[in-house]
Amino acid sequence: MLGAGLLPLALAGCGSDPTISEDPDELVLWFWDRSASRDLLEQASQEIPGTDRHLRADVIGTSFDTKLRTSLAGDAYIPDITYINSNNALYFTNEDLFLDLSELGADSVKDDYYEWKWNLGTTPTGRFCFFPLDIGPTGYFYRQDIFEEAGLPSTPAEVSAAITTWEDWIALGTELKGAADAFLVNDALNVFEEFLNASPERFFDTDDKALYLRPDSAVRQAWDTSVAAVEAGVTAKIPRERDTDRNAAWASGRTAGNIGAAWWAQVLQQSAPDTAGAWRLASQPVRPGNSGGSFAALPHTCKDPEAALAFITWINSPENQAAAYQDESLFPSTPASFEDLTYSGDFYGDQDPLAFFSTAAESVPSSFISNAETFIMGKFVLELSNVETSGKDSEAAWNDAIGQAERVLLKRGVFS
Amino acid sequence: MSTAIPTRPRDALTPADPTAKRKRKIREVLPLYLAISPFYLLFAVFGLFPILFSIVLSFMDWDGMGEMSFVGLAQYKFLLTDGRFWNSVGNTFIIWFLSTIPMLFFAMVIAFLLHQNIRFTKFYRVAFFLPNVTSMVAMAIVFGSVFSDTFGLVNSALTAVGLDAVPWLSSPWGIKITIAVMVIWRFTGYNAIIYLAGLQSISTDLYDAAKVDGANLSQVFFRVTVPMMRPIILFTVITSTIGGLSLFTEPQVLLGDSGGAGEAGMTIVLYQYNQAFTQFDFGYGSAIAWALFLIAAIFAIINWRLVSGRGDDTVRRAVRTKEARG
Repeated sequence: MLGAGLLPLALAGCGSDPTISEDPDELVLWFWDRSASRDLLEQASQEIPGTDRHLRADVIGTSFDTKLRTSLAGDAYIPDITYINSNNALYFTNEDLFLDLSELGADSVKDDYYEWKWNLGTTPTGRFCFFPLDIGPTGYFYRQDIFEEAGLPSTPAEVSAAITTWEDWIALGTELKGAADAFLVNDALNVFEEFLNASPERFFDTDDKALYLRPDSAVRQAWDTSVAAVEAGVTAKIPRERDTDRNAAWASGRTAGNIGAAWWAQVLQQSAPDTAGAWRLASQPVRPGNSGGSFAALPHTCKDPEAALAFITWINSPENQAAAYQDESLFPSTPASFEDLTYSGDFYGDQDPLAFFSTAAESVPSSFISNAETFIMGKFVLELSNVETSGKDSEAAWNDAIGQAERVLLKRGVFS
Repeated sequence: MSTAIPTRPRDALTPADPTAKRKRKIREVLPLYLAISPFYLLFAVFGLFPILFSIVLSFMDWDGMGEMSFVGLAQYKFLLTDGRFWNSVGNTFIIWFLSTIPMLFFAMVIAFLLHQNIRFTKFYRVAFFLPNVTSMVAMAIVFGSVFSDTFGLVNSALTAVGLDAVPWLSSPWGIKITIAVMVIWRFTGYNAIIYLAGLQSISTDLYDAAKVDGANLSQVFFRVTVPMMRPIILFTVITSTIGGLSLFTEPQVLLGDSGGAGEAGMTIVLYQYNQAFTQFDFGYGSAIAWALFLIAAIFAIINWRLVSGRGDDTVRRAVRTKEARG
C-alpha cells in the first residue's frame, strides 16, 4: 500500500516542473500557523486581487526551514511564495534561489514600510529578496504593583525616565531586589540579545568582516552589560528553554519584568492571565530594538512572479496588516496601519501597548544580521550561561566564546 | 515454449530444458518477492540511501541547499579536536550509566514481584508499562515542573524536610540525574515486562528443587532466577546500550536543542541534530553520526563477546544442573 502510494509521487518529482502545484493558475504559499490572517488567505484563494490567479495556502508545521531548504535543494515541490521567519539571513548564502523583488517593482511601496525592516530584507549584495511582514519592536515589560510596593518609580513615564541607560536599569534592579526580592529579568541572555537587537552594529558587517573582535564593539558592550546584570544579581538565572519555570516566575512575581517584543504582550497575557492589570511597559534603556518578525519571499521557480508580488503587497498593505493585527496579533510593519487600529483591553491597565510599540518602532535602528551570526551566536549564549549559572569568570568565558567562534568560522569558511 | 507447459509439473522439468526451468522458477517465486518488496523498497529509499549518502556527506561541506564541496577528512579532523563533541560523548555515557543500572535493577525486582501470586497482576503489568507509551512532550512538561529549581515538587519536598534545594535543571549533575530519572521512569516497565516473560519461561522444577533444598526467597532470586535470566539480562543490556547511546528525545524535550546550562544535557545524537538541523552543517552532522557508529560498534563487539562467551555457558550450566537434578 505504502509502496504503491509512493510511486506516483516519485514520478511527479521526475517531471520538469519544480513547483508544487501543476495548476497554472494556482500559486502556492507556504506559511506557518498564525503568520497570516485566515480571512485574507480565504479571499486570495478565490482570486488574488488585481490578478487572474488564485492562492493555495499550505500550513507547514514544525521544521519549516528544513522543509523549505529540502524542496529548494531537491528542486522539486517548491512553493511559489514562501514566508520566512526572522532568521532570513540563513538564506543569504543561497540568495540566487530567490527573486529580487526590487526588479519586479516592489520599491513602489517601499515608503509605506519602516525603513529598518525593509533593510533587514535586503541581502549583503543589495538584492531585496525578503518582503516585510510583521515586526517586533521591543520594550521593558514590568510589574507595576511590585515596583510600587518596593517604593520604586512605577508609572510607565517614571520607569522610562529612570532607566534611560543600562547602568540605571541595573541600579533600579538592585533596589528592586533589595526591597521586593524580585528580579528584573529571567536571564542574562535576555539582556544580551535585546542589547544587540537595539544596536545598529552587530557581529559582522555586510562583507562578513568580524566587528565583534574590535575592542568596545557592540557585542562586547552587550556582553559587559549582561555580565554586570548577573553580578548585580538582577537576573533570576532561569534559562530560555525552561518555559514552565519562566512562566511560573512571571506569574508569581518572582521575576517582575522582561525585555520583550510587541508579540510578547500576547504571550504574556496567555501564560500569566492572573496578573492582568499589573503589567506596564517602559521604554527599553538607550533605544528600542527589534526582535522577531517575518518576511515573504519568492523562490526562483515561482510560476508568476508579478502575481505573486501582487499577493504579497496586497496582504501586507497597511489596511490588511491592520486586519491581521486584529485576527492574529501580527504587529504591522507599515506605520499607516495604526491609523485604523485601536487597542481595547486592560491587561496593561490604562496603558495602550499598541501606541507604545508603534512609537517604539519609529526609533528602531537599521542594522545588518549576517548569516555567519547563526554559526557563533550559540557560543556566546553558552558562555554567558556559564557565567550566570556556574559562576565562570567572565573574561575567561568571553575568551572561550571568541575562541570557539573562531574555530567554527574557520570551519564554515567565513574566516580564512 | 508451449511444450514446456506441463500437466504434471515435475515431470516436465527435464534437465534438457534449463531455461524453461529457470523461467518457471521465477514465475513461481516472483509473487513472493513482490509481496515482500514494499519493505525493501521503502528501506532502500528511506533507510539504506540516507545511510550511504551520509557517508558521502561526511566528506563534504554542505549547508543543505547550496553547492556541496569536497573537504576530505576535514570534518573528522575537526571532530577529534571539538570539545563540544567530547563533552557530548562524556554526557551520553554518564547518563547511560546513571540510568541503565538502576533501571534494570528495578525492572528485575518488579518482574520478580509480578511473577508471584499476587492480586491484580494484570493491572500492575499495564500500570508499569504505561510510562513507555506516554507522550514524551507531556512527560517533559511534567518532569520540568517536578524538577524545577525554584518551583518544583522535588525541591519543595527537600526544603520541607530541612534539606537544601538542588538546582536540578541548571547544574551539570542535576541535569544528568533528571534525564536519567526520565529514562528510568520511561523504560523500567518495558524491561520489567521482558523480564517477566523470561521468568515465566523458567521451569517451575527449578524452584521446586530449590524449595526442597530449603532455599529462602532471596537465595531463590540470586541463585536460581538471576543465573537463568542471564541471556535475557544481556538482551536488555544490549537494548539499553543502544537506547542509551542514541539518547535524544529526553534531553531535547526537557532542555531544547542546545542541551541546557553548560551543555550538560547535550548527548551525541542531540549534538548531531543540533549541527545538522539548527546549524545546517550537514557534513559535520554526518561525521558525528559515523563517530557514534564507531562507538556503538565497539560496544556491540563487547556485548557480543559477553553473550557468546559466558552467556551460553550459564544457560548450558543451568540446563545441565537441571538435567542432573531432574
